Amino acid sequence: MSQNLERELSALFEDHADQLKGQWITEMRESGLLEQMSDVETEARYTALYNTVVSTFRTGEFEDVEKYAKIITEEAVMHDMSVERIIGGILKLRDIYERFIFSKYRDDEEKLYQLLDSYEPIANNILTIVTMAFVEERERVIHEQQRAMMSLSTPVLQIREEILVLPLIGTVDSERAEQILEELLDRIVEVEASVVIIDLTGVPIIDSLVANHMIKTVHAAKMLGADTIITGISPANAQTLAGLGIDISMLITKNNLRAGLWHADKMLGFKVRIEDR
Amino acid sequence: MSEDEEMTKVNIASSADIIAARGKGRELAMKMGFNVVDQTKITTAISELTRNIVTYAGKGEVTIEKAQSETGDKNGIVVVCVDEGPGIKDIGLVLKGGVSTSGSLGLGLSGAKQLMDEFEIKSKPGEGTIITIKKWLRRR
Amino acid sequence: MDIPILKIEDFLVVTIQSELSDDEISKLQEDILLRIKDVGATGLIIDITALDIVDSFMGRTLSNVAATAELLGAKTVVVGIRPAVAVTLVELGIRVKWNVNTALNLERGRKLLKQLIGAEQRGGVS
Ligand SMILES: Nc1ncnc2c1ncn2[C@@H]1O[C@H](COP(=O)(O)OP(=O)(O)O)[C@@H](O)[C@H]1O
Ligand SMILES: [Mg+2]
Repeated sequence: MSQNLERELSALFEDHADQLKGQWITEMRESGLLEQMSDVETEARYTALYNTVVSTFRTGEFEDVEKYAKIITEEAVMHDMSVERIIGGILKLRDIYERFIFSKYRDDEEKLYQLLDSYEPIANNILTIVTMAFVEERERVIHEQQRAMMSLSTPVLQIREEILVLPLIGTVDSERAEQILEELLDRIVEVEASVVIIDLTGVPIIDSLVANHMIKTVHAAKMLGADTIITGISPANAQTLAGLGIDISMLITKNNLRAGLWHADKMLGFKVRIEDR
Repeated sequence: MSEDEEMTKVNIASSADIIAARGKGRELAMKMGFNVVDQTKITTAISELTRNIVTYAGKGEVTIEKAQSETGDKNGIVVVCVDEGPGIKDIGLVLKGGVSTSGSLGLGLSGAKQLMDEFEIKSKPGEGTIITIKKWLRRR
Repeated sequence: MDIPILKIEDFLVVTIQSELSDDEISKLQEDILLRIKDVGATGLIIDITALDIVDSFMGRTLSNVAATAELLGAKTVVVGIRPAVAVTLVELGIRVKWNVNTALNLERGRKLLKQLIGAEQRGGVS
């Protein structure tokens, strides 16, 4: 009995696929939830999603939805897509189907409620599956990033010739900081770096011991012929440095990593020009 | 030769002895597993203190050996420099750094203190000077 | 031990190959200054790559040579300081009294010398 209703629903959605899908895309576009994609891509993507949903109603199996949810959420998380976009799309489709069932069976109340009764649990289940997939994927990515960050034996990055970047992370203790900074000096020699950027954006409050190691490293780097730019110093950290008797005006500081990189390029360019004379 | 192979004593009377003492310090530090930076700091501190013996006391001796902290949780190296030279009048002043009676930089004592984890000095004018410095192995 | 002092273009290059005793250091200091006068060098590079330790005495020697060379008309760049040596020199507190130009290696040292000499010439004109 219920099996029949579901099959009826799927047939209904299938028969009116063009109309309902078109409405879905239009509403997504109007509420600004549509990704930046070409029309063909949009059509293909929404058709695939639409067909998956329809087949779920037909078979009563959620495996396909789960698979599909995994794929789209992976993509969504990778592209930093918002929750509203992902969940919003499924919510919209649920409403469209519901309104459609209403309009179609407005005059046959008994049938209408039978259909809605079998429709709602399936629709909700789909929504739950997609939401969970999204949350789990995001958690997975965050964990992965954290693990990657911690397991990096040397977080010194060579971003281009002669420029090294060391992003210090807030949780480093003074011993680890000392070790990292010593590695930085080795790397300067190894890659013949001329400019080093130490980025403190990830250090909301700098430990005074860490700050001390950092300043010593700036001077040591200079002995190796490398200038250091410090980026992302918070006001609190500026105070800590000043408290250590460090004259911050002696240091090259920039607001953020981007400005630091820009300055590094300028310094390297400047040197080149002098040599040319 | 001492029975304890990890203990080295070097008599200090000339600049060649300074180089010898440095070599012994480096050797033990390396054997104990100090990293290159710490080996260099230890060797440099030995160089500063033994040079002071040559410059200000004329002669003396240095012993270099393994050390353990009182609580037993840290291993490291201890260096003791002993001379019977003129001694230091104002220890507080020379430890601040930048003060020299020989017209040099005045960074030997203050520097050695910075480079090591522990620094202890006993000195009496007319009797001599004993300086003990220690550095602990890093935990990782 | 005789330490070779090479002449490359207008520059003298001194490569210290092993730890030096105080006497050797004093002799080297003299030799360098004589050679600068002899050949009218405008630049001096001291390569200390081989040194695994530079104490305050050696540090002072280097800065004395640089200061004297300057009086004789030559700029000095010290190259090849090892990372561990650099950290140690900073911790010794040598920086405050040490105005020695440094560069990573010979090639960078030559570039820096050219910059320093060029900057001085431009400064002299204006
Ligand atoms: N072993 C010693 N015996 C006597 N005086 C010493 C000794 N070591 C250091 N001093 C005194 O302490 C001063 C500071 O020593 P140091 O910090 O090594 O600097 P520097 O040797 O460059 O003068 C010396 O100038 C000297 O007067
Ligand atoms: Mg001294």
